[in-house]
Amino acid sequence: MLIAVTAENPFADPLRYERRVPDCAMVIFGASGDLTKRKLLPALYRLAYERRLQPTFAVLGTSRTPLTDEVFREKMRESVKQFLEDSPFDEDLWQSFARHLHYLPGDMGDSRLYAAIQGKLAEIGQANVLYYLSTQPSYYGPVIDGLGAAGAPQAPPEAWRRIIIEKPFGRDFESARALNARIHPVFPEESVYRIDHYLGKETVQNILAFRFGNGIFEPLWNRRYVNHVLITASESIGVEGRGAYYQEAGALRDMIQNHLLQVMATVAMEPPAVFEPDAVRDERAKLLRSIKVMSSEEVPVNAVAGQYRGFREEPGVNPETQTETYVAATFFIENWRWARVPFYVRSGKKLPRRATDIVIRFRDAPHAVFSDAGREIRPNLLILRIQPEEGISLRFLSKQPGSGMRLRPVSMDFNYGSSFGERSPSAYETLLVDAMMGDATLYTRQDMVEASWRVVQPILDHWSRQKFDFPNYDPGTWGPAASEEMLARQGHRWRNS
Amino acid sequence: MTATVDPEKILRDLRELWSQLGREKETAGGVLRACSMTLIVASQCEGDTDAEADAARRTLGILMHDHPSRAIVIHARAGAELDARVFAECWMPFGRHQQICAEGIQFTVDPASLGAVASLLVPLRVPDLPVVLWCCNAAALGQCASTEGQATRSSAAYESLFPMADKLIFDSGAAADPDAALGFLRQLKSKGVHVADLAWTRLTGWREAIAHLFENGSIPADRIAAVDITHGGDSPASGALYLSAWMKSTLPAARVSLQGSAGEPGLRSVVLWGQGVDCSVSLADGSSVNVRASNRSYLSLLPPVTSDALMREELSILGPDPVFDRVLDSLRGKT
Repeated sequence: MLIAVTAENPFADPLRYERRVPDCAMVIFGASGDLTKRKLLPALYRLAYERRLQPTFAVLGTSRTPLTDEVFREKMRESVKQFLEDSPFDEDLWQSFARHLHYLPGDMGDSRLYAAIQGKLAEIGQANVLYYLSTQPSYYGPVIDGLGAAGAPQAPPEAWRRIIIEKPFGRDFESARALNARIHPVFPEESVYRIDHYLGKETVQNILAFRFGNGIFEPLWNRRYVNHVLITASESIGVEGRGAYYQEAGALRDMIQNHLLQVMATVAMEPPAVFEPDAVRDERAKLLRSIKVMSSEEVPVNAVAGQYRGFREEPGVNPETQTETYVAATFFIENWRWARVPFYVRSGKKLPRRATDIVIRFRDAPHAVFSDAGREIRPNLLILRIQPEEGISLRFLSKQPGSGMRLRPVSMDFNYGSSFGERSPSAYETLLVDAMMGDATLYTRQDMVEASWRVVQPILDHWSRQKFDFPNYDPGTWGPAASEEMLARQGHRWRNS
Repeated sequence: MTATVDPEKILRDLRELWSQLGREKETAGGVLRACSMTLIVASQCEGDTDAEADAARRTLGILMHDHPSRAIVIHARAGAELDARVFAECWMPFGRHQQICAEGIQFTVDPASLGAVASLLVPLRVPDLPVVLWCCNAAALGQCASTEGQATRSSAAYESLFPMADKLIFDSGAAADPDAALGFLRQLKSKGVHVADLAWTRLTGWREAIAHLFENGSIPADRIAAVDITHGGDSPASGALYLSAWMKSTLPAARVSLQGSAGEPGLRSVVLWGQGVDCSVSLADGSSVNVRASNRSYLSLLPPVTSDALMREELSILGPDPVFDRVLDSLRGKT
């Protein structure tokens, strides 16, 4: 969405150069961490390459690691070269970009750090400031307090201060509420950008285009025509050295509470009246609030936990850990559109392949005209592929060539990459630009975060009281048998191809 | 003529091309077919060389990555017999295992027979997709449109290709008579055709640097009293004329001057001044400009102005281009 930051600029030419962001500085807490190296700096460099950033756009990184500006620049240069995807590295551009990279070492619990940040920002001379919390979640509170005490949220007239907060936003419903309560005295809700990078993916945004830009699908998008919906986010890798972190999180917190419930909300939400941040977020929030919260008795029936064989042997992982590396859950949406339509959601590590997709399984034709020849009759499926091979497929039946009426499923495919050719921006590029432009459409709001925690809270509570017989699935399989059984009870099954 | 080149046969050849690529799929990682428009490229052989046609094909190969198309390359060469052949442009996107391929048809034709090719193209357009015609030869514009409204014989031959296109792309940058070239574009536009000029596209970096001086109300535009544009050479090329017209149409109360300087043609600097305002954008080297405003001064990189970069920008605008249209209109009677 274009936000007309230059609406009153008589020289604007939105078809050719509208989306350069306002001049600003970005302060990154946790600047020596993985996210900064792998995602943030490559995204910022790419935005500079695309000429979306002002030439004087500045980054001020901070973390405990003692580094000089020069060493920080060199480290970031190596990271950008290593993690830049689909793009060339331009040495001249880097030199120009790196001139505005700065670094301040310091302890995030020390008030002097925040005074030093304010001093450095004054020296850099940028009126607009975007703070980015890319630290361990335990530092969110101290950083918010430190920024508040240093007067960081107070912007000069016509300027702004915003803060991006990485997931996880809280460990449960109560801690998420407590964090919100800690943030709001310092930053008003409209300045808070809770990032869920799934929402920044082009293909997730394309769900909205697909649903609300076309007239032919929305009439089918309801309980009358849809039998059930399958949402899968599978990873072929394990915890890859993040065992200690993952052991504290688990698949339910790491994937379902944020990414997949947001994807589910995007698939199932009502059309917004206009494509504006609060209109879209209102509809997502309404949908999240409509998800039926399971009772304690329903959890064993509608949620399955799994742990792959070998997780307990990962470095940093407790050999007795009860943390789940796989989750499957059945959710129901309590509204007129989706009443009694199951939404099956699953995510896991060490599964056969990396894929995120949404499968809409339509109801069968009301009368089986071809039943005699119909040994191979299969339902219509609409498959929205988020990653990899982003695209959309519609599966339907076709007559097989030859005599007789033998039907065979065929697929009509739209492939994002080949249809457009041009490179898609990474989720972080999209989301960073949006935050700098003040567009919060793809960020989660307080009520959305709390609604999604409310949905998973009974599962967390029930599982915390249970001792699982882990491990219960082998690497390279599609998870524990109980997951298939959960769907089989409804006469359904996962699509594992 | 039509006996040697049959559109039905070309379409059969294209189908065979895809069947062949499909058979190769079994050994390679596979092929995905992609097409977002029909892109017709009209190039002309100068003397004995095919340099322009070769350059156009190279540009096409790059353009296909962002704008996969059915490319129809019309290569005009004096004395050539009409001939056509099909080809595929394939590439492996970064990090993928499947090639993406787009299809193409190349015609070789005598310039005098361009009109005959036009009729062959009608069934070769991809249905329901936009058609863009890129006239990368000066004969289509610069050398031939010597007086406004009176196209010469050579450009008239190209004109037979115009009606089938949703957008026409020219380049007046090297036109010997820029005023006449711009007049010709205005004439086409007045007939309701979407026209584009790569000489205007080359200005994007300059215009962007100027526009950013005015972002967020940092400089009130109504304070600008005068704009001085300096270009290389004695007489302004079409780029300088466009920039001057853009300034005049954007700041109608300001005085806009255009002055030449020694050296190669091209823009040198733009100085804007008025009450309490003195800012400028000036060429630092071939790839960047110095931007100076109030107490700030910085270097801003210009986007590349290679054929593929310019075409990529134009192909991303298939509907009306209000700013360019306004500027082209404002040149009426001034060129």
